[in-house]
Amino acid sequence: MLLVASPVEAAGDRALGAYLAAECSACHQISGRSRGGIPPIIGWPEDQFVAVLDAYRSRQRDNPVMQAVAARLSRDEIAALAAYFGALTSKP
Amino acid sequence: MKPTRRDLVAGSGALLAASTLSVPALLGQSRPRVVVVGGGPGGATAAKYLARDSQGGISVTLVEENETYQTCFHSNLYIGGFKRYDEIVHRYDTLASTYGIAIVRSRATQVDRDKSEVVLSDGRRLPYDRLVLSPGIDLNYDSVPGWSQAAEEMMPHGWKPGRQTQLIREKLDAVPDGGTIVMIAPPNPYRCPPGPYERASMFAHVLKETGRAKARIIILDPKESFSKQGVFMPDWERRYGAMIEWLGPKVHDGITSVDPKTGTVVTGFETYANCAFVNVIPAQMAGAIARDAGLAPADGYCTIDPATMKSVVDPTIVVLGDACQAGDMPKSAFSANSQAKVAAMILRGELVGAPTFPARYINTCWSMVDTDDAIKVGGRYEPRDGRIAAVETFISQPGESAEIRRQTQAENLAWYDAICADMFT
Repeated sequence: MLLVASPVEAAGDRALGAYLAAECSACHQISGRSRGGIPPIIGWPEDQFVAVLDAYRSRQRDNPVMQAVAARLSRDEIAALAAYFGALTSKP
Repeated sequence: MKPTRRDLVAGSGALLAASTLSVPALLGQSRPRVVVVGGGPGGATAAKYLARDSQGGISVTLVEENETYQTCFHSNLYIGGFKRYDEIVHRYDTLASTYGIAIVRSRATQVDRDKSEVVLSDGRRLPYDRLVLSPGIDLNYDSVPGWSQAAEEMMPHGWKPGRQTQLIREKLDAVPDGGTIVMIAPPNPYRCPPGPYERASMFAHVLKETGRAKARIIILDPKESFSKQGVFMPDWERRYGAMIEWLGPKVHDGITSVDPKTGTVVTGFETYANCAFVNVIPAQMAGAIARDAGLAPADGYCTIDPATMKSVVDPTIVVLGDACQAGDMPKSAFSANSQAKVAAMILRGELVGAPTFPARYINTCWSMVDTDDAIKVGGRYEPRDGRIAAVETFISQPGESAEIRRQTQAENLAWYDAICADMFT
């Protein structure tokens, strides 16, 4: 079960974030579950989420899947994703 | 009333404008109806995303004849002894209970495009405003001389989930040390490009682990090259020595015939008699329901609009996954899942006025080579020049460290959990 922890952003951002997030959820479970191998990405502070994607964009971090993902995301799109996933939390 | 093709093609702007007012009214009913045919990665994902994100605004019906979905992806891990069979079996219950999707346990046999109805094997008809077709592949039983559907027990393909997957494992278990396995690989395009080669790796793994390292696996390939060949082949040498031998068409000179009763494979170059096990992976094509509806050539796949996943023949029908011709995207579960999300977004835009965005697609194919050793290939894709084109790609490299390979296998296992959760929960 998922709870939206904070008020959603402007509708456009929220809808964009939800659409873009669908690309992530094939590998990162939106429930936050993980057996390792691929980390959970929900509930992160937004600036951390942006920084991590930037590190893949600049190829400081070296996973080729994430480099390919980050290379095609604009600033607005990364911000929308950070807001979307940041607002998700798993039920305790 | 329903929109004509002309309305949708020529008047998509007008439809979009209308959709922000009231598309259900335009369609002359309370809730627009989407019928989804096929409960695999394409169909299950599309059904879930349509139902979940429209919050009841769209009536979603999923037609699937099987009670469970047994994944073809990771069936090689079952064959290799890395997963139990029950770990690759999934149920549809949550799609019904959580998202309100109507699951119809029946076989969809025909699309009546004139009436916009799907015909079921029991004669029932399901009317639709939009149809999502995700029927997967059919095998071309005539593509290997001497082989046929009647021979698929003796020389199994293992390219459809279920009993065939288990047969492959049973045949492998019966191979004696020193025995010969022949795998006839499929021509392009086919489901899961690295699948045959991952499977050969799993054969070798099992044989080696069970004291049968003198067995050999001969891959007869109609293709000059194959997915991740530059990584698989040095890894086979390193991991399995001479156990796996790959022969391209210039060497074997074509498959002349197979004899399922005697376990014989005759090529233009050599005859393999008394094979312990012959795995015939034949040529493939879109599932019959899509071909019979006139959405694909007789032995081929459905051409789609890369921006929407709609059939270029009938824009009220979306075709997903293995049954469509998706440009640079391979026929994989990941591809079908990604395509389904684009299609669901586009259909919600049309049917309930949800915001739409440019299509973007993603895929990664992981393949196990041995214990804690996997490789991957993949990319991101966008519509370009009328097709789905790769805009970023990556592939594992030969000679990577054991740690990278271990991490890649950990990703592979985590991906499986995630995509199954994405499809079914």
